[in-house]
Amino acid sequence: MRFAGLVENEILKISRQRRFRVVVLILIALIGLIVFAQSRGRDRYLGGKDWRVRTQERMASIQNWLRDGRMPASSQRWARFELGRLQYHIDRDIDPEAISGPLFTRAFANASSYLLLPLLAIVFASDIVSAEFQQGTIKILLTRPVGRVRVLASKLAALMLAITLTTLFGALVAYAFGGIAYGYRGWGAPVLTGFRIGGESFDPAGVRSIALWKDTILVFGLAWFAMLCVGAIGLLTSVLLRSTAAAMGTMLAALIAGTILPRLASQWEAQKFLFVTCLPLPDYYSGSPPPIPGLTIGFAAAVLAIWAAAALAAAFIVFARRDVLA
Amino acid sequence: MADEVLVAEHLTKRFGRREAVSDVSFTLHAGEVLGFLGPNGAGKTTTIRMLVGLARPDSGRIRIRGLDVATDFRRAMTHVGSIVESPDLYRYLTGRENLLHFARMLPDGAEERIEGLAEMARLSERLDDKVATYSLGMRQRLGIAQALLGNPDVLILDEPVNGLDPAGIREIRELVRHLAEDRGISVFVSSHLLSEVELMCDRVSIIHRGRTLASGPVRELLEGFAGDQILVRARPASLAAERLSALGAQEVEASRVGDFVTARLEPARVPDVLRELVGAGVDVYSVERPGASLEDAFLQITGGETV
Repeated sequence: MRFAGLVENEILKISRQRRFRVVVLILIALIGLIVFAQSRGRDRYLGGKDWRVRTQERMASIQNWLRDGRMPASSQRWARFELGRLQYHIDRDIDPEAISGPLFTRAFANASSYLLLPLLAIVFASDIVSAEFQQGTIKILLTRPVGRVRVLASKLAALMLAITLTTLFGALVAYAFGGIAYGYRGWGAPVLTGFRIGGESFDPAGVRSIALWKDTILVFGLAWFAMLCVGAIGLLTSVLLRSTAAAMGTMLAALIAGTILPRLASQWEAQKFLFVTCLPLPDYYSGSPPPIPGLTIGFAAAVLAIWAAAALAAAFIVFARRDVLA
Repeated sequence: MADEVLVAEHLTKRFGRREAVSDVSFTLHAGEVLGFLGPNGAGKTTTIRMLVGLARPDSGRIRIRGLDVATDFRRAMTHVGSIVESPDLYRYLTGRENLLHFARMLPDGAEERIEGLAEMARLSERLDDKVATYSLGMRQRLGIAQALLGNPDVLILDEPVNGLDPAGIREIRELVRHLAEDRGISVFVSSHLLSEVELMCDRVSIIHRGRTLASGPVRELLEGFAGDQILVRARPASLAAERLSALGAQEVEASRVGDFVTARLEPARVPDVLRELVGAGVDVYSVERPGASLEDAFLQITGGETV
């Protein structure tokens, strides 16, 4: 009846189901594919030039676009930001497109925080309660001398553990593959972070130089936090819908909407209150221009935390009160 | 009363405007097997869901060993093991892993019972196979082993013989009788099969359309409906029928196939009538008293609706 025993049960169930192995395989296959495709394309793109020459050429072409004047306003903001960012790298003598195993690992966290990592969180979360309903095992689970709140809490704990392990495993696989392609060294290299748009132009006030290993830990921490919040919301859909397919479909639709909305409807500012818009925390932290004005890292993290807390409260209340009739 | 292990009082459950269970009451005594008999859709499973706290009654009260299920759920559940609707376990886990899983949800000591229970359920050899490979009978027995992990006073089984072959049915029946007689466990068994309840249970409660229609010891209920029908196999059947009518038997009917005559006749008069028949030149091969079964009782109570 100890809580650890309940969590052990939930971990046993997660790890013995096929989906766990599928997640592991997805991570390995996808990251391997990304590294392979990227390293092929990169050789052609760099063309063996010195990085300063390459960066200045890139800045020149961005300036040409800007002068052309046919750019939409949002792209102009981005272009000015990018110019400032590149110039800042040249001033500090840091190649903005340097690559190494460790840099690839960090880039993976940035790129996967929109969709891939939240998706994996959903694979675990959408099933964790609904499967018990679908298998009928909920009828035993909730008739043992353990309160319903404790049962759900043990599931939440196991879910958080699964999400944590998935994040760590993703980082490990990214480093392993990145290292094969670009070498395993370079954790100590300085990286520039905290770029911001101040008004209409680039604002260097927040830019800091930080050791790559610290930055990587931070970025993965943010991706992990976003995954936990998605997991909490996924848990609620799992409790409410009692069907794994329905829960997974709902969450998937929300995630995809989140990747489309800022692009198609960036004028609609209220979307910054949606959890899906706030998911790419690592990007907001590293300082790419936010898709919506006012969407800072602190704001996004707060929105996610509030969504997660509300989802958990609702999940616990419904789970504890509702009749099991299925 | 210390003897009362499970008491359900005036249970009512509504789904929207439909009353699925209306004012159902019964008592399960120590060491007895109580049958909960009713056609499909009578409200049996809904009642069982309320007994084990899966559903909340709209009114009424359930006490298990004196503990109110609504207010003292956890302590009440330490005395209960159940299978609700069907023996659903984790198919991707082995039998042993399933038992370990549910043992971890019980007070200490449950894990030590796994071997013994597996043996009792005759699953020892297959315990390390995945449940997905089990037959329905094996899953039913594993479900019962699971229900017994916590050493309960009350075992609640919902349609335990549903879908089983005759050998499987007999196994479950013997297991239930063994648990009640040798281990003193009170068993609550729901079924829509009259013959099963008759063979397995000490007392029976009949539920129909959400209401309890009758309850009492199986034998008493049977005696109450014991008829005075006899079945005579004789040749020529027509002559036998004629004589029986002349001797005052009621509802005499000669069957068109075979040499059977059915009639109603007071038990005390059977020997005299037999002598008369033989004297009249009828060859009598057998006389049977089919006797009442719960089936008759049930049909009489529910007004002839099919089960």
